[in-house]
Amino acid sequence: MIVASVLTKRYGERVAVDRVSFTVRPGRVTGFLGPNGAGKSTTMRMIIGLDRPTEGSVTVDGIRYLDCPAPLRAVGALLEARALHPGRTAWAHLRWMAASNGIPASRVDEVLGLVGLEAVAGQRVGRFSLGMGQRLGIAAALLGDPPVVVLDEPVNGLDPEGIRWVRTLARDLAAEGRTVLVSSHLMAEMALTADHLVVIGRGRVLADLPTADFIAEHAASYVRVRTPQPGELAELLRRSGADVTREGDELRVQGVDAAATGELAAGAGLVLHELGLVRSSLEDAFMTLTAGSVEFAAARPAEVTR
Amino acid sequence: MTAQTLTPPRTAAAPPGGAGLPRALHAEWIKLWTVRSTGWSVAAMVALGAGLTTLVCALVAPELAGGQESEPIGAFITWGLLFAQVTAVVLGALTVTAEYGTGMIRATLAATPRRGTVLAAKALVLSGTLFVAGVVTAFLGWLGGNAFLSAEGIGISLGDDGMLRSLLGSGLYMAGLGLLAMAVGLLLRSTAAAVSVVLALVFLVGNLVMLLPGSLGEWLTKLMPGNAGSRIAMPESFNPLLLDPWPGFAVFAAEVAVVLAVAAVTFSRRDA
Repeated sequence: MIVASVLTKRYGERVAVDRVSFTVRPGRVTGFLGPNGAGKSTTMRMIIGLDRPTEGSVTVDGIRYLDCPAPLRAVGALLEARALHPGRTAWAHLRWMAASNGIPASRVDEVLGLVGLEAVAGQRVGRFSLGMGQRLGIAAALLGDPPVVVLDEPVNGLDPEGIRWVRTLARDLAAEGRTVLVSSHLMAEMALTADHLVVIGRGRVLADLPTADFIAEHAASYVRVRTPQPGELAELLRRSGADVTREGDELRVQGVDAAATGELAAGAGLVLHELGLVRSSLEDAFMTLTAGSVEFAAARPAEVTR
Repeated sequence: MTAQTLTPPRTAAAPPGGAGLPRALHAEWIKLWTVRSTGWSVAAMVALGAGLTTLVCALVAPELAGGQESEPIGAFITWGLLFAQVTAVVLGALTVTAEYGTGMIRATLAATPRRGTVLAAKALVLSGTLFVAGVVTAFLGWLGGNAFLSAEGIGISLGDDGMLRSLLGSGLYMAGLGLLAMAVGLLLRSTAAAVSVVLALVFLVGNLVMLLPGSLGEWLTKLMPGNAGSRIAMPESFNPLLLDPWPGFAVFAAEVAVVLAVAAVTFSRRDA
């Protein structure tokens, strides 16, 4: 379990992480979601003691990372894929890490097999592709067989097969009862991987809720109807218990599905020009939630082309 | 590459003990010898040090024997260390700057979060390696150089005044210089900057201060790290101004210790 409490990191005037509090529980995948520059990486670096919090604290299973007697056996972390010397072989990289925490050398071969790198164990990592580097980083994270796993943007640079592999891995680790925190700036990826979401923007926690709730709450759908007699149809729909908002000749209906809407209109002899279900995407929901907390916002394409 | 799923959780108990100094030493030892630069640096040290000592002895032996050369014979028998010390500086700096340059430092500190432990392990592994390499280099240089000196009847035996001390002193000086470069590397976090600063300090500033007038120039000359520390590696010196071997080395060691202490404080306060 990871517990962050009023965790704050300031770099001079700039506040990278602003009084962030959350709990990452074991047995499920927690998605740490936010746009680039939201403070995800800084928070993760504070979890494993690389950055010192300006205020607040973060503990792993009740103790600070710095106080872990053998930290790699307490927390496995994938931070940057390229936290390795390009001239060292994959095997040597894992071997020194194992030695530093008293992990037997046999475990090195085990994790190399686990991530599918055993064939290139003797190759210098400078020649590794981005995806291979990512796999090696994940091997390093699993080296100590840790109860807590922290993965910062693990699917970066992976091919579709690799992405699916990471997703399965994260879910398997959680199913084994481990605490799994996975960061991403991609809502769609998190919707597939995470059971729980902590959404962060401009260094602040914007939402902390089960993924299912997030989807139900934010990815609302409605029935869109266009008709030359919007007033009459709206009246009819409201009487049957629907929520209706009117935009010109278009009605947005919630609470009654498209089929029922069509039948109601037909029963009353009303003409329909359009009838359909509109589902706003999770990506839209994420954008709406983090709007205003994006560090470098681009002009919306619509505004540019108009 | 095939995608695999995770093996079932391992039930074997983890070995006891933590990420203390012995384990950090083991890790640093593996790190040191699993990059090519270490082998090259040490090979270059031996080749430059022993090779140039042999060469210069071969060249000057006839003149020294004939009395046309007034320099002390003992100043030539470890002469190659003047150049070999460059490799100690490079290796010392790389110990930390390579980690900052590649991002490796984050993996190092994730594995051993205590900065003091990391620094102590690095310092011990580096200085131990450089001590042995320095002694071996000086010994091989003595073997090679002395062959030519002996042929002219002016050989220096290991039992002669200061010779054995010079061999050990070569190791001590190399170790100290490596630590100085490591400390500067920790402060500057750049290989080029750290190597330049230390080499400039040893070669350039150490010689330029000799030009300063009066006792100021004299004392600065005595106290500059390269001048104070290198005397211990030579049975005799070209420069009569230098401090005696052991007092000089004590000054050098104190200077290295101060820079290391500053670097250690900076390192422990800095985010990785």
